[in-house]
Amino acid sequence: MSEMARVTIPTHRAPPRPARIASVWFRHYRVYFNSFFANATPAVFEPIFFIVAMGIGVGRFIDVQFLGLDYASFMAPGILAMTSMYTSSFEATYGTFVRLRYQNTYDAMLATPLTARDIFVGELLWCSTKGLLFATIVGMVLLAFGKVLTPWSILIPLVGFLTAMAFGGLSFLVTSIVLNMNHFQFYFTLILTPLIFFSGLAFPVHTLPRSLSYVAYSLPMFHVIETFRMVTSGYRHVTVSWAWVCPLLLVLMALVLGWLGVRRMARRVQR
Amino acid sequence: MSESTSTATVRPESDTVIELERVSKSFGTLKAVDEVSLSIARGSCYALLGPNGAGKTTLTRIIGGVLPRNGGKVWVLGRDPWEEQSEVKARLGVVLQEDALDEDLDVARNLEIYGRFYWITGRRLKEKVHDLLTLVNLDGRERSQIMALSGGMKRRLVIARALLNEPEILLLDEPTTGLDPQVRQLIWSLMRKLMAGGMTILLTTHYMFEAAELADRVGIMDQGKLIAEGAPAQLIETYLPPFVLEFESSQATDLFLAEQAEPLLVERHGDRTLIFHESEQLLLDLVSRLQLSRTGLRGTTLEDVFLKLTGRGLHE
Ligand SMILES: Nc1ncnc2c1ncn2[C@@H]1O[C@H](COP(=O)(O)OP(=O)(O)OP(=O)(O)O)[C@@H](O)[C@H]1O
Ligand SMILES: [Mg+2]
Repeated sequence: MSEMARVTIPTHRAPPRPARIASVWFRHYRVYFNSFFANATPAVFEPIFFIVAMGIGVGRFIDVQFLGLDYASFMAPGILAMTSMYTSSFEATYGTFVRLRYQNTYDAMLATPLTARDIFVGELLWCSTKGLLFATIVGMVLLAFGKVLTPWSILIPLVGFLTAMAFGGLSFLVTSIVLNMNHFQFYFTLILTPLIFFSGLAFPVHTLPRSLSYVAYSLPMFHVIETFRMVTSGYRHVTVSWAWVCPLLLVLMALVLGWLGVRRMARRVQR
Repeated sequence: MSESTSTATVRPESDTVIELERVSKSFGTLKAVDEVSLSIARGSCYALLGPNGAGKTTLTRIIGGVLPRNGGKVWVLGRDPWEEQSEVKARLGVVLQEDALDEDLDVARNLEIYGRFYWITGRRLKEKVHDLLTLVNLDGRERSQIMALSGGMKRRLVIARALLNEPEILLLDEPTTGLDPQVRQLIWSLMRKLMAGGMTILLTTHYMFEAAELADRVGIMDQGKLIAEGAPAQLIETYLPPFVLEFESSQATDLFLAEQAEPLLVERHGDRTLIFHESEQLLLDLVSRLQLSRTGLRGTTLEDVFLKLTGRGLHE
């Protein structure tokens, strides 16, 4: 067989780890952009409708200045946080589960030099990339509506990336234990959605009764939204005096949740 | 998974490319692989046979570096495949029991993306994809969706995928199950070509004929244990006489067998009776004595050995 006879290198070496991780990322990228418009359109339009309906529609009737901002500008960080969170969480739950259970994608990948960790680090980075992408797109929409007010907004993609990484990791933890896809509904409707509404999307939580606002401060999403608030509206619009902690906590959450999630999923596919 | 920092013993590479020493793997209380030892020489084809659930896939996964074992030693190309996953897997080609093609990508993209996992890129990748699709008669289907392929085409694509990295060893888990005879023939001739080129193959199959045709050595697994091993002809010789008379059991034949003074080697599969013997003449005599059809008289096959060793009943 002539094809086989043309072996030039006698022994093939494994690619280095960064190349392995990048190849997984690239697989997702390729699949995604194969049908980008079908995939991305709903995810982009949802936040646009949201800001138009809530911010401009409802906001007109709410004649209060929130922290010295009109309602839509107040909501901008929450919308960015929500977008990054949902994009990544959908990918790391439904997407990952379908690949795990129905498409055997990971079995095929594991037959190559990729290790289970390479696979899920690559996947987490892809989830984070999607967060970055959507935060950027939505950020530009907000900018067009005049709802983004500072030069710091150049950091929106980065905050989107970190947010998506944290929620990608959290979602991996969920995916590693669910038995069927219906269980994800609990995660979305009982955890993620309440999380975002109690973390400063629609109203400033520091105006809640003290005990309730402490609950809100302990939620991961509060720190995400507060970080986004810094980069959309500027530091002077933060809602708590210790807001500088929030970006640090966000980085910590991204790393810790990401690491835990990758570890769990890696174990899930190799037993 | 410390393949880069591992201090595991690396053996000098020799003619034995796969070596297992009392390898075990349990899932909970189930012993899926139970103290299996075997070795496979470079350039040879080893066929693993066994009923459903015997542990063939589990053993193949351990060899392929995707599943840790509970005990025993494994060397693949002189390395421990679990400790040095990436290094070992870079030199293996694997065909999984389920196709596991990427349904989100078309035929050519499936190979291109897979090639990147081995860090094959650019022009070399394009050439490789083209050559391999030609090799498995899928040229012209580059842009087909996976869903649109027949079972046989998918299987051929999976085999092409397993050859992307020019592997030294192929692990084929039931490569021809569920395929029509034409595709099966095509895959066999492909395997023969690869073997002629020096490829080592570990093959799992339920087709005795396939094992007898292609394999230099056959191992029979049952309930996690490797219960017999050898060249196909040698296995038959070891376990059964060369001739067999097979017929439908009846009262008359049962009575006759019960009355035999000299005990015969009799096996039963459901309502079939098989009598094995060294002498074809003796069996011919039986044919006329019992007024049976001559077509029941034949040479002993690997399948007879398999059924004798793994028992008659269903295993589940
Ligand atoms: N990941 C797993 N978790 C729990 N049990 C498993 C797992 N994988 C395999 N088993 C069990 O281990 C046993 C051996 O399975 P294996 O798939 O290796 O058999 P096999 O010989 O390949 O069977 P078949 O011919 O049906 O493919 C079976 O009882 C199976 O149910
Ligand atoms: Mg199997």
